[in-house]
Amino acid sequence: MFGWEYPPKHLGGLGVACQGLVRGLLKNGVRVTLVLPHSNAQPEENMHVVFPTDEMRESVLVPSLLNPYDDEWTYEQRILTHSLPKEESSLYGHDLGQAVEQFTALSVEMTKNIHADVVHCHDWMTYEAGIRAAKHHDKPLVTHIHATEFDRTDFHPNEWIAGKERRGLQMADRIVAVSAYTKNLLVSHYGISVGKITVLHNGHDQPHDMVKPAILSQHGKKRHPLILFLGRMTVQKNPLQFLEVAKRVRVFMPDVEFVMAGDGPMLPFLIDRACEMGLQDNVIFTGKVHGRDVRALYQAADCFVMPSLSEPFGLVALEAIAHDTPVIVSKQSGVAEVLDHAFKVDYWDTDKMADCIITILREEPLSAQLKAEAPRILRRLSWKNQAHKLRSIYTDLIHHSTR
Amino acid sequence: MAPLVTFYFQVHQPYRLRDLRISDIGQGEPDYFDAEKNRAIFRKVAEKCYLPANRLMLELVQQYPEFQIAYSLSGVFLDQCREYGEDVLESFRQLAHTGKVEFLAETYYHSLSSLKSVEEFALQVRKHVQTIQELFGQTPQVFRNTELIYRNELAHIARLMGFRGIIAEGADHLLRGRSPNDLFVPPQFRLPRSIETAVRKIRPLSRRAQDIHILLKNYRLSDDVAFRFSDKSWVGFPLHADTFTDWLTGSGGHTVNLFMDYETFGEHQWADTGIFDFLRALPRVWQERGIKAATPSQTIEAWEHEHTHEYDVHSFISWADSERDLSAWQGNRIQSAAIDAVYALERQVKETGNPLLLDIWRRLQTSDHFYYMSTKYWSDGDVHKYFSPYDSPYEAYRRYSHALCDLKQRVAAAADATEERTAVSSQPSARLKVSRLQKQHLHKPAADHSKLKASPRKS
Repeated sequence: MFGWEYPPKHLGGLGVACQGLVRGLLKNGVRVTLVLPHSNAQPEENMHVVFPTDEMRESVLVPSLLNPYDDEWTYEQRILTHSLPKEESSLYGHDLGQAVEQFTALSVEMTKNIHADVVHCHDWMTYEAGIRAAKHHDKPLVTHIHATEFDRTDFHPNEWIAGKERRGLQMADRIVAVSAYTKNLLVSHYGISVGKITVLHNGHDQPHDMVKPAILSQHGKKRHPLILFLGRMTVQKNPLQFLEVAKRVRVFMPDVEFVMAGDGPMLPFLIDRACEMGLQDNVIFTGKVHGRDVRALYQAADCFVMPSLSEPFGLVALEAIAHDTPVIVSKQSGVAEVLDHAFKVDYWDTDKMADCIITILREEPLSAQLKAEAPRILRRLSWKNQAHKLRSIYTDLIHHSTR
Repeated sequence: MAPLVTFYFQVHQPYRLRDLRISDIGQGEPDYFDAEKNRAIFRKVAEKCYLPANRLMLELVQQYPEFQIAYSLSGVFLDQCREYGEDVLESFRQLAHTGKVEFLAETYYHSLSSLKSVEEFALQVRKHVQTIQELFGQTPQVFRNTELIYRNELAHIARLMGFRGIIAEGADHLLRGRSPNDLFVPPQFRLPRSIETAVRKIRPLSRRAQDIHILLKNYRLSDDVAFRFSDKSWVGFPLHADTFTDWLTGSGGHTVNLFMDYETFGEHQWADTGIFDFLRALPRVWQERGIKAATPSQTIEAWEHEHTHEYDVHSFISWADSERDLSAWQGNRIQSAAIDAVYALERQVKETGNPLLLDIWRRLQTSDHFYYMSTKYWSDGDVHKYFSPYDSPYEAYRRYSHALCDLKQRVAAAADATEERTAVSSQPSARLKVSRLQKQHLHKPAADHSKLKASPRKS
C-alpha cells in the first residue's frame, strides 16, 4: 500500500483515513506493507495494546519532502525555507514533478521483494508508484481517491495534477471513492465509467482515551455559546463563509463566540477580513491545534460547522459527532450522505447556515437530540467494518483478475 | 351469507410550513405556511386522485344500487379545497347528493388534541361536524380520530359526544386471534367526571349516544390495495377484482372494513398501475356475488343487535407505521418538545380571543408537522421520508420552532393589547384594529397545504 502521510505526522484527513484503513485491514486479517514518503513517521508510537497490529505489518519508509497538499508554489517555498541538509534537498530537487518522479522510482525499488496480492495507492502523489508496482508484480491495482484536484481548487484544477489523477484512475482495476459525491465527480469531470468505482465511506474509531470535559471555560463560569470551524484555511474549506455566517448570527445573538481552528495559506487574509467585518470580539483564531486541544475544542463547542465548497468526505464532522457536538455540514460533501442527525446546507447559503446555528442554540431539545442520536453512525462506520468491505474488494479482484 | 364490505377513505392535506427564518420572527405577521407549495401539491393530487377518483366513484354509486362508501375529509383539507380547489369540493358535493355517501367526523385540524386537551379536542370535532353539515347537509354519526389513534377512553368520549360508531385499527395483539370482521364494543366504564363535564359542555351532536360500536380496519386486505397493489415482488401481484373478492368472502365474519387513504387511487398507486380499473371492477364483481358495500352507519345498524365482542385497548394504538402506536408523532425528543410547546400555548391563545391567532395555532396542531420530525430511519423511516416535504426531520423542527416562536410573540402582544383595552373602558379603536386585522387575513390565502399523511405501513 502506497500512502503519503500517516499519524502522528499528518496534515489532514488523508493520514487519519489511511491509518484507519490499515488498522481495520489488520483486524480483518489482511497483511499490509505500507510505503510512506516521509522519513520520520513513527506510526508504531500511536498503536496501543488495543491495536495489536504491527507484528503483521512492516513499514517501508521512503524519505521525501512531499506534502500531500502541495501545489508547485508552496512546495518551492517550503524547500527554500526548510533547513535541510543540502544533499537531501538536492536528492529531491526543487521541482514538484521531479520530486514525484523520484519518490515513485524509489518506492518501486523498495517494494521489489514484496509479494503482495493487491497494490493499493492513495491519491495522486502515489498513483504512479502504484501503477509501476502493479505492473512490475503483475497484480491488480486499486486507486483510492480521498480528494480530487477539483475539490482542492474550487474547480480550477492544475492540469498537471489532474492529469496524474486521471492516469491513475484509468490504469486502476478498481477505484475506491470515499463518497458517492466523489464518485459522481469522477464520472462527470474525469470521464471514468461508473461500474469501475466502488464507494467506501470513511470510518471513525472512538479514541480509547477520550477525556470527558476537561477544559470547558477559560473565562469564568458563564460560557458564551461557541461555534467551531476546524480545518485548513484554504479555499476548499470555505473559511470565509464561516466569517459571513458569524456576522449573520451576531445580528441576532451578539454573545456567540466563533472559533476558527487550523492553519493554512488563507489565515492572514482571514484575520484581516474578520477585523474588517468588525468581528474581532467574536472570532478567535487558534492556529494549528493538536491532540488534547482539538478534543477540548470539540467538547466545548455548541455546534460544529463544516461549510466546505467541495468535500470528498469530511472526517472532521465525524470527529465532532464523536464528541457529542451537533454538526452542520455542507451539502457538497461526502459525509452528508451518511449523516441522518445533522443539518445539511448548501455551502453558499449563509443565511440558512446561520439560521440552523441559531435554532440549535435556542432549542435545547434539538441540540440534545442531535447529540444523542448522531453518534449512532459511528458504530456503523467503524474502520473495521469499512476495511471489511475493502477486503471484499481485494478478494473479488484476486479471484476475478483478468491479468 | 356474504359479509358486508365497508369502504372508508381518508382525505387530508396538511398546511406545510414555509422556509421560515429567524429574521421573520417578530416582524409583523409572517405567513407560516408555504402557500405556493401547498397549492402545487393540492393541485397535483387533485388532478391525479381527487377529481378522477370522485368521477369514478360517482359513476359507480349511481350505477350499482348496493354500492355505498364513506369519506372522512379533514377540515384543513376542506380549507384547502376552498383556497385551491372549488372543483374538488364540488365533486364531493355531487357525491353527497347521491345519498349513498357517508361523511365521518374527525378533528377539524387533523390534530393530536385527543392526547392533550379534551376541551380542545371537543371544540375541533364540533367545528368539523358543523362544517360537514354546512357543506354536505348531513350530520356525521361515526367518528374517526386522527390516524385512527384510539383507546378505550376515546370510544366513551366519542359516545358522549353523540357518536354511535368509531373507527379503529384492528391490531393483532388486541384481537388475539379474533377476526377484525366482527362488530366490537369497548369495555363498559365511567369516564372521570372532569372529562364528562368538558365533553358535555362542547358536545358536537345534540345528545350523547347510548352505545358505541367499533369498526376495525382489516389491515391485511386494506393494505393489499393501499400498499401492495403495484408491488411486483408481492405474491398477489397482479391483483384482480375477482381474486380480491375471493379473499374478502374467504375472510368471513360480518363486515370487511377496508379503510385507506384516498390518495391510494392515483397518487400512491398511479393510474398506470391499473388501480382505477381495479376499483371500477369491484362493484360489478360484488353485485354478481351478492356482496353489499355499506357505509359505517349502515353496517352498525345491520349488526347492532347481533352478538358483539369486546375490544379492550388500554394503550394508544393507531394505523401508522409497523408499530401501530404513537411513535410516528411522539417517538423522539424534538417531536415531544414541539407537541408540548404548541399545547402549552392553549390558554394564552384562547384568552386573546383572536380568531386569526386561534386558527394559526390550530393549523400548527396538524399531526403531519410532528410526523415529519420522525427519525425512525431504521424501520419505517423510509415511509416518513417519502411523505415529507422537507429535507430532514431537523429541518421540519427548525421551521416549526420558528413558527411557534413567532406565534408566542404575537400571542403575548395580543394579550398586552387586551389588557390595555380592558384598562380603557371604551375601546372602539382597539376593536377596530382587530377586525381590520382579521379582514386582512381573510383576504390573503392563509397558508398552503400539501398532502402527506402518515400512512400506515403494513407489516
